[in-house]
Amino acid sequence: MSWSKNISINTWRCGRLMSMYPQHYVDPIYKMEDQCSKRTELLRLSHIPIKGALNNSSDTIFNGEIKQKMVNYITKNGEGFLSRKLMAQTLEMIKRTQLEGSYISPGYNKTETDAESLLIQAVENCRPLLQLSSIKRGGVKYHVPIPLTNKKSYFLAMKWLLDASREKDRKVSLPEKLAWEILDAAHGHGRVIKKKEELSRQCESNRAYAHYRWS
Amino acid sequence: MALRVFGLNLVKTNRSVLQNVCKTGATPTQQTVAPYATEVTVQASPAAVQKQKVSKAMKAYLKRANEHDEFMKTQHLEFQIGKRHLANMMGADPETFTQQDIDEAIEYLFPSGLFDKKARPAMKSPDEVFPARKAAEFDETGRPFHSMFYTGNPNFFQLLHDIVQETNKIHELEERLLRRGNTPDENQKLDTTGFQLMPKDQLELLLVESIADIEYSNFVNSMERLIALPYAYKSKEFIERFLKPLMDQSKQLEIPKPRIDEQGRQYITTYECLRKTARADVTVRMPGTGKISINGQDIFYFPEEKCREQLLFPLQFSQMLGKVDIEANVEGGGPSGQSGAIRWGIAMSLRSFVDQEMIESMRLAGLLTRDYRIRERKKFGQEGARRKYTWKKR
Repeated sequence: MSWSKNISINTWRCGRLMSMYPQHYVDPIYKMEDQCSKRTELLRLSHIPIKGALNNSSDTIFNGEIKQKMVNYITKNGEGFLSRKLMAQTLEMIKRTQLEGSYISPGYNKTETDAESLLIQAVENCRPLLQLSSIKRGGVKYHVPIPLTNKKSYFLAMKWLLDASREKDRKVSLPEKLAWEILDAAHGHGRVIKKKEELSRQCESNRAYAHYRWS
Repeated sequence: MALRVFGLNLVKTNRSVLQNVCKTGATPTQQTVAPYATEVTVQASPAAVQKQKVSKAMKAYLKRANEHDEFMKTQHLEFQIGKRHLANMMGADPETFTQQDIDEAIEYLFPSGLFDKKARPAMKSPDEVFPARKAAEFDETGRPFHSMFYTGNPNFFQLLHDIVQETNKIHELEERLLRRGNTPDENQKLDTTGFQLMPKDQLELLLVESIADIEYSNFVNSMERLIALPYAYKSKEFIERFLKPLMDQSKQLEIPKPRIDEQGRQYITTYECLRKTARADVTVRMPGTGKISINGQDIFYFPEEKCREQLLFPLQFSQMLGKVDIEANVEGGGPSGQSGAIRWGIAMSLRSFVDQEMIESMRLAGLLTRDYRIRERKKFGQEGARRKYTWKKR
């Protein structure tokens, strides 16, 4: 194994053998459009080192942020290849169902057939705004509604979609069930939407305790 | 700069010069060269002072200075002799033997397998080995020259004092101009993009004093406050002394010139494209038809779509897809590492075929950064690299 020896020597020569970038490194901007729109801001970046582009990034229309996140959440035990395959199957399933629907009812041509925009629509529909957290005041636990950050609410929406589709018969495959859930959620009904509404109803009923968040 | 040398000989020989300096340079900041390096050295002893009692501190200092001077003299002598010996051994002319020749000779005569460069044998001029010391800061009677002598770091505190003085001056100016109804000139506004405040080690060299981290942050804060003032351009000269220009990141690496192959096409080969444990060398040929060959196979060398996409990322980003041919040899690592290595190689080679603006864009997209991150090892007593085992007190 001559190459492995060479590599180790080379990394020594760089003097930096580490698993993270230093703190002053800045995240890269993959999309050319984003770079063009932020021209003036980027002048500042010309003196700052940039992190390397991640190996799942590219400047194409096939690279959606939510799709990417969903793939990451599907992944178990580092099997990214499998999860990307499952995601592709899911999107294919959605596309097929929508196309079928549009063919069966010829007058109804307005059916959305873009699978990825349906996925985004579904996630947006499932996003909760508030969450209940239990806070102890005077020996009594209260369920207090607290607002969620954007990131957390996206995470919860995608997690609920996945959880719902993992509760299934053994004969049904994950892409199939996930496609159903996504289609349901995108049209504003289904289990995940119900779950979200249930949570918001609970938050509403516990609104009296909201002040415990800061007092 | 001669004042920085801790030597009495110098002081004696340049007595008259130093006296002038002491007289004229009462405020050390007004000196042009290395203002904070030294203030005043030992005052040559005029007859009037000679009769006065020399303080104990001065006596000790003079003794130390003498000793140091003697020591440096012998060191210089030894260095010269050693240099001549080395030159003779290497069969070179001892008169024109430079420091670089010395380093090469030492490396040749005493080959060392030690990893740390500082631990390897070396021969350097004693001026480099023994750093410059401060000259005397007090006169024969033991009375310090500098009013901030007892702070321990007189030069540093003088600097802080100067910064605040500048700030106050600008504040006063602002008020005066405001009363007259003037506003600061927008065109002259001080722009510090592309500049950086002097780092701590350089400031220490400038002051000949070691300063603590918190002291350095005090310096940074007061400088930033000064720079942020609307009339900061009035004291531009002062500020610029503590600014250091930053290099443009994309201009740091030299772009190689393409070579011509036997078919008359331009080509660039990038060796040592590394990512994780993969290593590749990539050749980009222009003009081409978009052929890609990896270890003799086409792009389907990578069964995964993601890896193939990675290969095309720099080409698609710089709009060179279908205009260049790519040949790559890659070994080691897995598919992800291999594709990453080739991607970096392609991006680095493409620099020779695109314009400067596109190079900067590619840098901003993170294509020109060598991703040197490596799997962090598992630690004992921990579940992984960072994660700890679950632990419950009771």
